[in-house]
Order: sequence, then structure tokens, then C-alpha cells
Amino acid sequence: MKREAQDGEKTIVADLVIPKTILDDIIAHAKELTPYECCGLLAGTNGVVSHLYRTKNIVAMEGAQNLSSFDSAKAAHLERLSPAERAEIAFVMDMQDFSSAKKDMRNNGLDLQIVYHSHPHDPARPSVTDIKIATDYEEIWPKINLPIPAYLIVSLMSPEPDVKTYWIKSGCVTPADVLIR
Amino acid sequence: MIKVRIPTPLRPVTKGQGEVETKAGSVVEMIESLNSTYPGIKDRLCDEMGELRRFVNIYVNEEDIRFLTGKDTPLKDGDEVSIVPAIAGG
Ligand SMILES: [Zn+2]
Repeated sequence: MKREAQDGEKTIVADLVIPKTILDDIIAHAKELTPYECCGLLAGTNGVVSHLYRTKNIVAMEGAQNLSSFDSAKAAHLERLSPAERAEIAFVMDMQDFSSAKKDMRNNGLDLQIVYHSHPHDPARPSVTDIKIATDYEEIWPKINLPIPAYLIVSLMSPEPDVKTYWIKSGCVTPADVLIR
Repeated sequence: MIKVRIPTPLRPVTKGQGEVETKAGSVVEMIESLNSTYPGIKDRLCDEMGELRRFVNIYVNEEDIRFLTGKDTPLKDGDEVSIVPAIAGG
């Protein structure tokens, strides 16, 4: 899904452009919450990210795993863990935060570009659960008037954070071409 | 009739159906009405106080009920309601 990001007069051929300050903010969010997973949204226009919205990970909230598209193995695994431990291996976004962010995007004429989350203990690539839920969500985005976003994952597994962005379409994962500047 | 889209995680409660129809004059009535046909659905969507749980959103004709009048949002014949589960991952 190559598109041309518009940077003022200049056309940049990349899927997405993320300002360095926003990238730093994502990493800071991940570090603040580690060993728990963080999650949030990036919005902008024409592939150029300009806004970050931190959202709460409410996976530890009673009943959260029952209303998320976790497969039965993952749900059973989560069931066996304490609420705090659940947040180390999963996230469920607070949809009240999501609604507020979506409203702000609309008021500012922005589009959702990226959904981000962290992997405190794992590499920066989508897990089986990430792929399944992103695929389930493909039919939801158009119904809530949002474009299908890219997925950014920040891994804190190594001392140096690793950030990667992907498109997830029909169960297929392809790296997104991201320009940081 | 109101058309209600059911997300994958709720389909075990609706006997596998991804879309159901019901009669209701508001979102709260819709939830009650669905619950009488599909017992347990209300508990998945609402907390003990009857408030919409934080890991679910409901949209009426693509509009978020949190920015309409919440669960009292009126419904009329032909409206389309989407129940949307939280964005999640592992
Ligand atoms: Zn993940």
C-alpha cells in the first residue's frame, strides 16, 4: 500500500511519515509502562503523522478478555494469569479513550494512521494474536468511518528499543515503509 | 426493525450470527431486547450499574453513542447499530 506522503510542497514516496518527537514519545510511553504493554493511536493527514493519543491498557479489567477477539488459547492463557500479569502479554484498549481520540481527530480534520503497542519481552513483530485481531478488525474500520491503520510495535526486549511498522491485511503481514524525520 | 452487527467475540452468544434484528426505541431497550433472545449479552456489554463497559463501543449509523446520549440514544426503524469490541493484541 504505497502512497505519497505530502510534506508541504514536497511529495515523499513512503507509506508513512512519523516525526522523531512522536517516535520518542511512543518509546517513552512504552518505557513508562514496562513490564506492561502500552497502547495508543497516531493520527495525521495523507500518511503524515502529527498527533499521538495515549490510551489505557485495560486488559486487567474484569471481563475484558471475554469481549476481545482473543482466540480461545490466548483467552485461556490470560484467564490463568493475575490481572497484572495479563498486561505483560496483552493489551485491550480503553474504548472510552479511543472515542475521545476519535472525536479529537474529527475536530482537527485528522485521520487515524497507526495503532501502536509495545512488546516488553518480545521482538517487534506482530504476534499470532495481533494478526488475528487486526484481521477481525478489518471489517470494523469502515463501519466506524476510519481507514484501515498500520500497526506499529515497539520492542523493549533489547536495551535499544526496536520499532517496526506493518500492514496487516487478510492475515498477511507486510512491513510498512516509514520515514522518520 | 433495528439491524445490529455482532462482533466475532459475541457470536457464541448469538448462536453464531453476525447480524441480528430487533425492535427497540433506544440503545438500552435494544440491549434488553437482545438479552431476552440471547441471554448473557447484556452482561458482556454493561457493568453492574448498567453502564457500557470500557472495552466496548456502540455505534448508531456510524456515530459513537458516547457522543450521542449514551445508552439512552434513541433508535428508529431502519437504524443500523454496530457493537465494536476493543482494539486489542498480544
Ligand atoms: Zn503485540
